[in-house]
Amino acid sequence: MASTVHSDSDDGMDAFMDKFKTQRYKNAFSENDWEEEFNKIPMFMKNAPEEIDPQKYPELACLQSIIHDEDRPPEEQAKSLKDEGNAYFKEKNYQKAVVAYTAGLKKKCADQDLNAVLLTNRAASHFYLGNMRSALNDAAAAKKLKPDHLKALIRGAQCCIELRHFSEAIQWCEDGLKVHPTDKKLRELRAAADKHKRAAERDARKAKAKEKKLHGEKEALLNAIKDRGIKLVQPARAQRSGSDSEDEDERSPAAIAELSLDGLSSQEVTGAQVFVDEQGSLQWPVLFLYPEHQQSDFISAFCENSCFTDHLGVMFEELPPWDADRKYLPQNLQLYFEDEEKETLYRVDPEMSLLKILQHKRYFVKAGTPSFIVLVKGSSYCKQFLSGRKIHGLGGLLTML
Amino acid sequence: MLSDSEVAELLSFLTPSTRPDVKGQATEYILGLSGNRDGCRFLHSKPDLIAALFALTSDPSIAIVKDCYHIFINLSADETLHQVLVKDVKVVPVLFKNLLDPEYLFSDQICTILSNLTRHEKTCKILFKVLQEDVGMAQLVQIFCTEGYNKNAKLHYLGPLLSNLTQLPEARNYLMDKDRCVVQRLLPFTQYQSSVVRRGGVIGTLRNCCFDHAHHKWLLSDAVDILPFLLLPLAGPEELTEEENEGLPVDLQYLPEDKKREEDPDIRKMLLETLLLLTATKAGRQMLKEKNVYPIMREFHRWEKDAHVTAACEKLVQVLIGDEPEEGMENLMEVEIPQDVEEKLKEADAKEQEELEKEEEKRKQAEEEAEKKKKSDSEQTDREQESGLIK
Repeated sequence: MASTVHSDSDDGMDAFMDKFKTQRYKNAFSENDWEEEFNKIPMFMKNAPEEIDPQKYPELACLQSIIHDEDRPPEEQAKSLKDEGNAYFKEKNYQKAVVAYTAGLKKKCADQDLNAVLLTNRAASHFYLGNMRSALNDAAAAKKLKPDHLKALIRGAQCCIELRHFSEAIQWCEDGLKVHPTDKKLRELRAAADKHKRAAERDARKAKAKEKKLHGEKEALLNAIKDRGIKLVQPARAQRSGSDSEDEDERSPAAIAELSLDGLSSQEVTGAQVFVDEQGSLQWPVLFLYPEHQQSDFISAFCENSCFTDHLGVMFEELPPWDADRKYLPQNLQLYFEDEEKETLYRVDPEMSLLKILQHKRYFVKAGTPSFIVLVKGSSYCKQFLSGRKIHGLGGLLTML
Repeated sequence: MLSDSEVAELLSFLTPSTRPDVKGQATEYILGLSGNRDGCRFLHSKPDLIAALFALTSDPSIAIVKDCYHIFINLSADETLHQVLVKDVKVVPVLFKNLLDPEYLFSDQICTILSNLTRHEKTCKILFKVLQEDVGMAQLVQIFCTEGYNKNAKLHYLGPLLSNLTQLPEARNYLMDKDRCVVQRLLPFTQYQSSVVRRGGVIGTLRNCCFDHAHHKWLLSDAVDILPFLLLPLAGPEELTEEENEGLPVDLQYLPEDKKREEDPDIRKMLLETLLLLTATKAGRQMLKEKNVYPIMREFHRWEKDAHVTAACEKLVQVLIGDEPEEGMENLMEVEIPQDVEEKLKEADAKEQEELEKEEEKRKQAEEEAEKKKKSDSEQTDREQESGLIK
């Protein structure tokens, strides 16, 4: 509206305005980068820069120092820090929010309501960062300052649920409902925590029942083995903590647990283990060793009532590829087991059942897998293998049982 | 009974300033009176005495206060005295006030009195009104559910109190307020081992609540989840198949071998009645069927010996395995029963009750016989052994 005619304008406005008619405005925004430039002006900033460099953003730095001026009363400073934290929180910059809230709390201002809010908000930030324990601590501190602070109560309950401390969560909800009896969120959290708690209790019962069943089965198995007079031996192990387990009762819970790991587990990758079948007979994993060719065969379930000839007949129906001399015919095979302690070989009558052999007083089942050495009758390897060793023949065997 | 002058004298002894021994004798005497019906009726006509006695509940002597409370327990057990107690002497607000005090020594006695006063609807209504004004039902439930609220009192009789209060629809509505967490607090107590009074009170309360079928859906929903708490006392250690287990509510799965069922047959019956109430609506029936209630009832039926309870169980089972009723009759509570049918049903019910009584009698007798025989058998062996020794 200023016109050149208007003479009594105050501050040389006229002259100033007149200049535009002749002079080009300096430092104008250019077409290309005006948006960028705009963004640098505090008033028009869309996002705050991460770090405020006083060189680049002198105005922002100024504003910041005004806000955080140490001369302001602590309540005001704390409040500003709270606002700052909230702003970061809105942007989901939870780390920065924590920093801001912490700074606010450090002011130790007298306004406990404000402190409670700072703690609760920091708790929320920790919550979203996944720091459940820190979040819970903050919520608890807020609750201590202001026992009726609803957001703190809700947050506390939520943290407990995340930490799977369901009874504690329910307690938070109960405390909350005392003060806010109609709050929907507290009610829902309580119901949820209660549900989780009962599910966890069920899971514990289920696990216990399963363990008990397993334990019972294991015990039955060990009893079946012991009743048959079969001896198990653990492979040599490093010192077990505490017990002198040699004399330990084989049926004690520790022994039974051990057996699952050592005594009965096969060295084979198949993990086959002796078990009681539907007819009540034991089925054993059995190893046949062929030292001549450094080979072995593994039968995963050899019924104790079967005899060796049954299996050998099937195993050697077709001669194995490693039998270069084509001599491992079932009728030519001789079986032995080794008594390690006495360094003696005992000849096994293949017509006997597995059970009978296992019951031999010098037979010890090692690592839950009976093993037998197979040689070819009269072969040079056989002669070589047996020379210089103590051997018990078939005749000797019969008197043992 | 006493003459007017004797009553006046007695009244004069019932002041705080009277010598303790005289006071004590007076209260003792009245306690004796209150113990029988005639005595109570007599006291009914003497509200001044009652008022004086009530004032003495603040007496410094604990023995006196104790006697006074026992008098009131006796008085409150007689319905004819309710009006006097509540309207004339106005005991209720004071009782509630003392109940709230965690240090009060006689809270258990207060609970018993309140429980007595709420037995019949008329006084119950008045009491509920005072309750809501002074304490609030929520707070009452809170006190009841807080372990160790009062070191000097167990507060078990709040259970029957709540049960009595829930004969009123307004009390039930308050207990089942969807916006609050009130009835949920009571649920764990269906298995409270230490007190049959508390347990029975809670279950009675829940049964009364289930008369309002409008609330069934909410009661059965996750917000309350009443079903497991009703079933747990009836479930036993028997192993169910994996399939049956998986279908049960979480709390009933994989129960340990030492799980015991509810010992009190009346409470067992109440639980079954509550479950039966929940089958009134189609949604309720469906939920109970879905949650595998039947296997629980099947095992329960095998175990139960009491004829009355078994009958209640059978009624429930019939609904669980029966067909859905025809259209229009899905809500069993709303079905119109014609007059003559209703008559016949009542007759049949009465007859059934009689038969059940007989059965129960027979069973109990048989048990006693067995006991006697066992005893005489062992006595026989004892005697034989003895005579053997003497020889």
